[in-house]
Amino acid sequence: MDLLRGLSFGQYLPVDSPVHRLDPRTKILATIVLIAVVFATRSAAGLAWLTVVLGAVLLAARIPLGYALRGLRPVFWLVGIAVVFQVLFGEGGGHPLFQRGPLVITRENLDLGLFYGYRLLLLVASTSLMTFTTSPVEMTDGLERLLRPLQRVGVSTHEFALMMTIALRFIPTLVEEADKIMKAQIARGAEFSRGSPMRRAKAFLPLLVPLFIGAFRRAEALALAMEARCYRGGEHRTRMKELHFAPRDWVAGALLAAAAVVALGPARWWQ
Amino acid sequence: MASAAPALIRVRGLRHTYQHGTPQAVPALHGIDLDVFPGECVAIVGGNGSGKSTLARHLNALLIPTDGDVVVDGLNTRDADAVWEVRGRVGMIFEQPDDQIVAAVVEEDVAFGCENLGVPSAEIRARVDAALRTVDLEAVRRRPPHLLSGGQKQRVAIAGVLAMRPRCLVLDEATSMLDPHGQREVMETALALCRDEGLTLVLITHAMEEAALADRIVVLAEGRVVLEGTPADVFAREDALRALRLEPPEVTQLGRRLADAGCSLPPALLTVEALVDAVAALRGGGAAVRRRPSGAGRRAGRTRPRAAGPMLRCDGVSYVYQRGTPLEAAALVDVSVEIRPGEIVGLIGASGSGKSTLAQHLNGLLRPTRGRVYLDDVDIQAKEVDRRRVHQEIGLLFQYPEHQLFEETVSQDVAFGPRNLGIDEAAIRERVDRALVQVGLDPVVFGPRSPFTLSNGEKRRAALAGLLAMEPRVLILDEPTAGLDPQGRREILDHVVRLRDARGLTIVLISHSMDAVARLCERLIVMDRGRVVADGPIREVFSDPDRLVALGLGLPQVAQCARLLRGRGLPVRRDVLTVGEARGAILDALALERAGG
Repeated sequence: MDLLRGLSFGQYLPVDSPVHRLDPRTKILATIVLIAVVFATRSAAGLAWLTVVLGAVLLAARIPLGYALRGLRPVFWLVGIAVVFQVLFGEGGGHPLFQRGPLVITRENLDLGLFYGYRLLLLVASTSLMTFTTSPVEMTDGLERLLRPLQRVGVSTHEFALMMTIALRFIPTLVEEADKIMKAQIARGAEFSRGSPMRRAKAFLPLLVPLFIGAFRRAEALALAMEARCYRGGEHRTRMKELHFAPRDWVAGALLAAAAVVALGPARWWQ
Repeated sequence: MASAAPALIRVRGLRHTYQHGTPQAVPALHGIDLDVFPGECVAIVGGNGSGKSTLARHLNALLIPTDGDVVVDGLNTRDADAVWEVRGRVGMIFEQPDDQIVAAVVEEDVAFGCENLGVPSAEIRARVDAALRTVDLEAVRRRPPHLLSGGQKQRVAIAGVLAMRPRCLVLDEATSMLDPHGQREVMETALALCRDEGLTLVLITHAMEEAALADRIVVLAEGRVVLEGTPADVFAREDALRALRLEPPEVTQLGRRLADAGCSLPPALLTVEALVDAVAALRGGGAAVRRRPSGAGRRAGRTRPRAAGPMLRCDGVSYVYQRGTPLEAAALVDVSVEIRPGEIVGLIGASGSGKSTLAQHLNGLLRPTRGRVYLDDVDIQAKEVDRRRVHQEIGLLFQYPEHQLFEETVSQDVAFGPRNLGIDEAAIRERVDRALVQVGLDPVVFGPRSPFTLSNGEKRRAALAGLLAMEPRVLILDEPTAGLDPQGRREILDHVVRLRDARGLTIVLISHSMDAVARLCERLIVMDRGRVVADGPIREVFSDPDRLVALGLGLPQVAQCARLLRGRGLPVRRDVLTVGEARGAILDALALERAGG
């Protein structure tokens, strides 16, 4: 059993490192910039340089390489499929490396396939670096602050942030509850994994109904507890944790800008 | 006391009707007058449905009176502009530890109230630090709340209220979901705030041991104040309390019964320490003591001869949670126990000692990492064994089983188990009716009702019926009395005993309520950090109370009295479990000492 117990949320690795200490906004913006740079890079040398950059950040963040690669495991499949597609169905022409019947593998297509595949891998690695080093709570805070200007056009960023916070808070609680209800129903002879899809869907009712009722009960209790603590929406509200850019955030930004110029620069100069 | 000062909270002629003015109107309070003075600790007690939680919600303007007034620190709760002021001055802690924590990090939750009040950022930081220090939770400030114990979660909630700098703290059944350790934690924290910092405390509770610690007790019944006075005054009226289906704490009952037997004790002893001091003062005194045969040996008649062979057996069972991950944790370590047919076994241990994990091994829900579980000498995890039959023969009632109810009617819900077993409809109907009767729910009245309209005690009994309808041979009950009021607790335990007597069911009772275990069980298995550390007849296990205390288990009050008196050199028997036995044992010891000295 314990199907749900192993489920972890995000891949945040709580260690103390210069990367972890960065303002979440810095990390969110840096990730966006990195993604753009990875897309804009046209040369293999550029990608190699970015690999070095990501490796350096990984090192600075004190994330074990094994942990990082484990996180990328599902992506390797995707990369493999992308490479195969490019190689098999890429444009004709070029230097054939291998030929049998209608199947032609050219050097150009293989290069291109590897290039695209590797780029995909770097994209995922860049975002993973953010989730490895930023807790979901910090991410929510950062997003709220970054989106705050939208308040002026009527988007309620406070409610959005509160919703995210409460979701983060209750996911483990509800997972635990689901596990318990599931076991309780199995103890009453229920089976969740046998029979036709229709039967299986029906078998989940004894899990879902109590889970939903429980969630509503919690929602009501939580709303009352929030009211008791004077919650009345986002107006007049202050925050204990105000985000402040520190010198290290500026340094990180400058380093990233330099790395981006190097990644993009040579591609143009060397062509 | 501070009765000369003006009341902090003044309640006059308070009436409350839910859904007032509709055909579904439910009156809950019928004219309450109450004053709460600054710095005092008031306990509001009453059974389920007495209106005590409704009253609590009026104290901080979560409800507005249908009639009458509630005035807090000069502010009337009817005044819509004053609502936030009132809620800032009267903080409230609720029953469910999980459902009042908003943020995903402890310190951010503590800050939540201040943030709502618009306190400047630096000031919030200082208040949060101070509040966490007061409740002694600085060490866990950056943890996610779901990793805390129940007692810690309630202390987080208290810190969150303290940071708002209230004048009064209301605990609405805040300890009823906690284990004995958590209960102590929360009560000590709250009482220290009242005694040392002058915070006014209102305890809404059905635990009389807690009420005994207050300056004043207000007893509610059916929405009215029926008794009011100091704990000594209120507990002296034992008959009136019993008529309300409440009873004084065990220690007060023991004091009264010793006094009836001729001991000259002060009236209404409220705490274990008070009783121990008073009894110790008797020694060498010349009070004539009328002796009646003590209760010892009375229980002997209840144990019955039974078949010798074990029916359910764990052999060297170990279990590791999340094997192969950084979170790997051993939940069971080499556990070997035997359950014999027809016995009632208590399985006790502090939270996290592995009781529930063991229970899930006993009915095949968890597969041992090492070792085997046998039912009638058959390995229940063997390939050819139908697991469903194991679940049927060994019924497991989870904690808070009312949360698993899901069908439209009680009958259908009870029928869920037998239907999964593929029994024909006529037989199912018969089983359902029989099971409902066995838990004291009339099938005609309760069968067609929605399970969600029942009271908590009734829901729990309906869930029990759902297991009984599968006709198990063994029933494992995981904390069956948790969170129920004394009345609900008594009912469910009475039904358990009747099940054993009438149907010869074998029962494993998992509990950290020593009172429940002491009342029902003949044998105890004690667990500590995944291991079985004691297994034997209940008297044998209770005869080493120091060890039980060291394992983090709460002793029944009378057992605590006996233990402390022994510590003072009075030769009281070790294995007292009930008020009657304690009375006998103390009288015997006093007489013995007198004869000897």
